[in-house]
Amino acid sequence: MSISVSGAPSGATPSSLATSPLQRLAGWLTTIHHATLGGSLLVASAVWLVVVTAIGVVLGFERFDAGGTVVDADAFVQLFSLHRFALVFGVAGPAMLGLVVWSLPAQLQAANLSLPRLAAFGWWSWLVGSAIVLVSYLGNGGPGGGDAQYVETYLLGLGIVLVALAVIAVSVAATVLTRRNGRALGEVPVGAFAALVTALGLVLTLPVALGTIIYVWLDYVNARVAFGGADLIDAWLGWVVREPHTLLVVVPALGVLADAVVRTAKGRQPLRGVVLVGVGISLSVVASSVTQQAHVFALGDTPTGTLQSFVPYALFNLVPLLAPLIVVLLSLLALRAGTPGISGAFVAAFLGVGMIFTGLVGSAAMHLDALGLVGTVFGEATLVYVVYGAVLTAIGGITLHAGSVTGRALPDGKVVLIALLGFVATVLASLPHYVAGFLDQPANAATGFDDSGLVGVTNLIVALGHGLMLLTVLGFIGLVIASRRGEVLSDRYRLVQPA
Amino acid sequence: MTAPALTAGPTRRTSTVFVATAFVAAGAAMLMGSMLAMWLDFRAKAPTRVASDGVSLIKDWLKSDVAIPEVAATTLMITFVIACVMAQWAVYSARRGDKSHTKLALGITMFTGLAIVNAQIALWMQIDLVLRNDAYETMFYAITGTMMAIIVSAVVYSFVAMFRVLAGRGADHDVLRAHALYWYAVTGMFAALWFVVYVQK
Repeated sequence: MSISVSGAPSGATPSSLATSPLQRLAGWLTTIHHATLGGSLLVASAVWLVVVTAIGVVLGFERFDAGGTVVDADAFVQLFSLHRFALVFGVAGPAMLGLVVWSLPAQLQAANLSLPRLAAFGWWSWLVGSAIVLVSYLGNGGPGGGDAQYVETYLLGLGIVLVALAVIAVSVAATVLTRRNGRALGEVPVGAFAALVTALGLVLTLPVALGTIIYVWLDYVNARVAFGGADLIDAWLGWVVREPHTLLVVVPALGVLADAVVRTAKGRQPLRGVVLVGVGISLSVVASSVTQQAHVFALGDTPTGTLQSFVPYALFNLVPLLAPLIVVLLSLLALRAGTPGISGAFVAAFLGVGMIFTGLVGSAAMHLDALGLVGTVFGEATLVYVVYGAVLTAIGGITLHAGSVTGRALPDGKVVLIALLGFVATVLASLPHYVAGFLDQPANAATGFDDSGLVGVTNLIVALGHGLMLLTVLGFIGLVIASRRGEVLSDRYRLVQPA
Repeated sequence: MTAPALTAGPTRRTSTVFVATAFVAAGAAMLMGSMLAMWLDFRAKAPTRVASDGVSLIKDWLKSDVAIPEVAATTLMITFVIACVMAQWAVYSARRGDKSHTKLALGITMFTGLAIVNAQIALWMQIDLVLRNDAYETMFYAITGTMMAIIVSAVVYSFVAMFRVLAGRGADHDVLRAHALYWYAVTGMFAALWFVVYVQK
């Protein structure tokens, strides 16, 4: 007997069933259906990705020639800051949570999310909050901003975005814990387990950032003696858009890879418990995030001093590496144990998690004092690796679940090509800055550094990489639209269970 | 003769509201915990000054001319315990099917919450701290203001729970259990704040 993993649509009707454009708009505005909410988050994250790639291209060309500037020099701090915000809270956060919201009920064979109105509230709040943040940057607000009102607006918008993502996470966690259809937690798909891990991580860490925002805001509108005004906002809140915290945001990527490989190989996952432990290790990042600071390893004068530096470094930078490493290795084992093959979902997810792992390894290297990489563009590269890796995995996740959620599978071969293009784009947008980091190109600076030799070229290649990523996403969007209009394809990821 | 097969018992359902409330409470606890951690960090890094005895050195954190209304703060702490007892009484009464006592318990919980809000405002007025001069003032109002928002959310929760019981949904014990859990969590948060901000200062 073969069964579909998709549950029947709930009473919360998808807006697509409405007929007239006005009805469809009203349906979209009021929907609590997981597919529409998740789809909205995914589309909005794609829009933010356009902003990210545009900024990436502009910054790449700006830094190609450190002497001349096209953008106003005063705006650079805000442009770099907007780039980081957009990467984490504009792209990675909504893309990962959107994928989870979109596909989780299908994975659990449930009709809809638990607390779907809460999830809808989270989606709309995130949309409003992220728009407020964008407007505040345009009005000379944000970190380093000169307009006091827009700086306050930025803090308000950022606070709304954090609350919104935490609210969606609560809905996701409640869904996994209460809609398992009698299954033990260890028996749910790895994707659902990873969703629970990321939800737990976000619920525990985003309020920490919110507390800092409250302090910074109250200080900013009053004495400005404790938290240093607009120039130091990034110093207080920077941890939330840096590694390893970003791993908590992209944990669903690990679930996509684990599920994609099992459905591609049509077999069972060997050492499934170890895979779950691997995904769960991501939660170690919570301990790192709540300290709100980077943990750099430096050799001490005594062995005890060295050990005192190494233990927190290892705990907060090396242990999280185990999460993607375990999942990648065991996914390869699962591929070998079943019927080895290649699928669009697997290729995209495998390359995506590989990029996330590369970013985390880079972050661990950056926190080695001896390498002197702190304060260079190396940090920007690690973030781009992780976020673009999450984008690739989101492409894999959509491909994996499209058949069960929408009834229309995507053409697998084309997804493989798009995933390979995205892989090249990610490497080009990140790796050159790893090199430039070793050549001491400073972070958050577009002028005033030596751009001769390799440094200038690396920035040009990075701009090209961001441009290619834009092409990748546009290509995938085109593929999704075409698949909805074309003939229905058979779903190779359809879950088949023995009678 | 074969023994008759036993029918399956009712499946134990995990309450969505209870789980969601637990997550929200955990998030709120992290919010307050992080703010208290930053408070302790700032206090530890504050410069020192000579104490009123003219000999010992103390942290120049709380200004010498500021007096914390300790009676009001401790009264606040005790009032939280009353709210918790009332919230648990609501759960107990609902399990026994005693609707009138469930309503009474929820009503008292809500009004106790309003009394806590009133006491916090009275404390702010008594302390007479101007939000202009230093880190202590900023952080005091930020942390107590955030706690106030959490308390108000608990009062609103009590109101919603009572409204549901009044509307005839008293048999839905999950909401009352979740409501009691939230009050326990809020009390735990305030206990930490009370000790750090009002007792240790």
